[in-house]
Amino acid sequence: MPLIELKDVSKLYGFGDATNVALDEVSLTIEPGECIAVMGPSGSGKSTLMNVIGLLDHPTLGDYHLNGKKVSRLRANQRAKLRRDEIGFIFQSFNLLPRLTAMDNVSLPLLYKGVSVGKRMKKAWDMLERVGLGDRAYYYPRQLSGGQTQSVAIARALVNDPQLIIADEPTGNLDSGSSRLVMELLSEIHKTGNTVIFVTHNPELTRYATRVVYMQDGTVKYDERTKLGEVGRYARSVMYAIPETTEEDDLAGVSAIMGVLHKRDATAVEPTKPKTKSKKAAKSKAKRRTNAAARKGSAK
Amino acid sequence: MTISQGNLGLAYRSLKAAKGRSFLTMLGIIIGVAAVVLVVCIGQGIKDQISGQLGRYGKSTLTIQPTSSSGSAGVFTGLSGTSSNLLSENDLRVVQKTKGIATAVPVSTSSGSMRGDHTVNSPFIVATTAEFTDVINQSIQYGGFFDPDIDSKTVVLGANIAHKLFNDNSPLGQTLTWRDQHFVVAGVFNTFSAPPFSLEANFNNAVFVPYSTAQDLSGSVLGMYQILAKAKPDADQRQTTDAVQAALTASHGGSRDVAVLRADETDAGSNKTIHLLTVLVAGAAIVALVVGGVGIMDVMLVSVTERMHEIGLRKAIGATNRQIMRQFMAEAFVLSATGAIIGVAVSCAVVGLMRVYTSLQPVLVWQVLVVAPVVAIAVGLFFGSMPALKAARKDPIEALRHE
Repeated sequence: MPLIELKDVSKLYGFGDATNVALDEVSLTIEPGECIAVMGPSGSGKSTLMNVIGLLDHPTLGDYHLNGKKVSRLRANQRAKLRRDEIGFIFQSFNLLPRLTAMDNVSLPLLYKGVSVGKRMKKAWDMLERVGLGDRAYYYPRQLSGGQTQSVAIARALVNDPQLIIADEPTGNLDSGSSRLVMELLSEIHKTGNTVIFVTHNPELTRYATRVVYMQDGTVKYDERTKLGEVGRYARSVMYAIPETTEEDDLAGVSAIMGVLHKRDATAVEPTKPKTKSKKAAKSKAKRRTNAAARKGSAK
Repeated sequence: MTISQGNLGLAYRSLKAAKGRSFLTMLGIIIGVAAVVLVVCIGQGIKDQISGQLGRYGKSTLTIQPTSSSGSAGVFTGLSGTSSNLLSENDLRVVQKTKGIATAVPVSTSSGSMRGDHTVNSPFIVATTAEFTDVINQSIQYGGFFDPDIDSKTVVLGANIAHKLFNDNSPLGQTLTWRDQHFVVAGVFNTFSAPPFSLEANFNNAVFVPYSTAQDLSGSVLGMYQILAKAKPDADQRQTTDAVQAALTASHGGSRDVAVLRADETDAGSNKTIHLLTVLVAGAAIVALVVGGVGIMDVMLVSVTERMHEIGLRKAIGATNRQIMRQFMAEAFVLSATGAIIGVAVSCAVVGLMRVYTSLQPVLVWQVLVVAPVVAIAVGLFFGSMPALKAARKDPIEALRHE
């Protein structure tokens, strides 16, 4: 039985003419034990997809089965309980409560589950040990480095033994050293049998994944299984497209972006297209242009 | 060690993080509670002091005073006798002869300046007879009461006037000049308990002179504004009162223009007024308390908006609506409970200071010490529930986006 089954899930914002499509009939099946890297330009719907899978957001249309149970129309409290027991969330901006110690932050989901104080402490301690921060249990978030803070957040996500770990750009705010630490932790969690979904902009990090999903314009554009330790093929094409801009190109402005787009379109291998409907050419081109600009900005 | 992440602990910490604002919020509750407690305590204190007046006249003492209309024996009859409407010596005799009355003494006033070591221009001069001390329940500090049969030129002083006339010198045996006559001070009363706001005459400022002497010196019949009578110990109070009333009505040709009041009756009359005042002011104070509750609601709404991200995060990691609601209710509880406790402490301190530094003698009423904080907490929880509900119902993703 698949862990996650999304069927034609759409998420719309706004009404009428101002309607904004964040997810456009996404269908995705995830088996237990997968480690999935979700890639895609900003605004492609990655985060919305994470929020829908993580039960933070309702899909506007479509069905979502978690563990074979239909969850797309659950009530708020039942969703909260599923989030608490089945899903661990890791955010880009860490999202620890600043006034609580690492220990208290980690034990918060246990508190909401109604676990007794003694058990909370023990479990939180174990989790902090597991992420290598046993000696930082009584530190406040502001006293920890970025990598350590994210480790605490991972410990918090793990503390209720959820099946599914969702990490929305867990390394987005971290330097490469800390990124590696966090990714090693996530891959370790994956190896112990959890299903991990993480969003990243860094193609290198797809090495940790068994499957790479590439999103664009609210749809899954490309879905590929990879071996652990290998960069996904499509990810690689993105990775090698970026460094081709030089200082001069930057100065040249728009024409440079156009140049990059041409080169990328020429080199990008686009194997088997997923079954999503083809977008209107003009719209997708415009979108891609802005995406390229955004990527260029982040590459600098 | 901070693992005790109960809601109250959390609430306490988040309120501590915004100390200034929390205090300002509590101020409303503090003032409300303190006002309610103080008003009730002061009111009770005044009531107690007026009841203490029973001791001044004695329980079996009847007060007989003229009224303009029958039956209007209200609070403000203390000194209302006018010259045209005073009791006569005949009335005094009627009272004295009534069955069940042991003694009756006149209380008249006279005028003229008194000169001792110092001169007091218009003292409160009470002309009465030697039996006065039998009727009122008050001891003499120095000396004794006058006895006109032995010496008609003696006076007795109230504590305050003695000080005014003779400073710190002992007034006993000193000479006073009144209407060109010399009087010897025979005694000084202990301080009469004089309740504040009471319209009764304050005997501490009175010079007591023999009735007969005063009448001789004024050269005319001296009207009495009051007759104080003491019932026999075995006589029934009510019957005696009725008997006196009947006798006086008869001697006045059937018109009931005299009121006969039992000691507890005068007491009841003034108590009613004080009670009404207490209720009114306490009502105003409760309004203050409710306004304090609105303040709590205000601050909680700000707090909810400010901590939207935190709410979203807590929901993301599995907090249910009810758990979020409880967290904010705990905050409202901590705010109002702390405010209530501080309010009670403040009012207790003020009561203590008032007892030392003012003539008001407020009494701590334990009922209000319990009820006021409970009401304050209820008000706080009531007004806190709206923001708490707002926080609880937030969509998690929307709240998380809020920075």
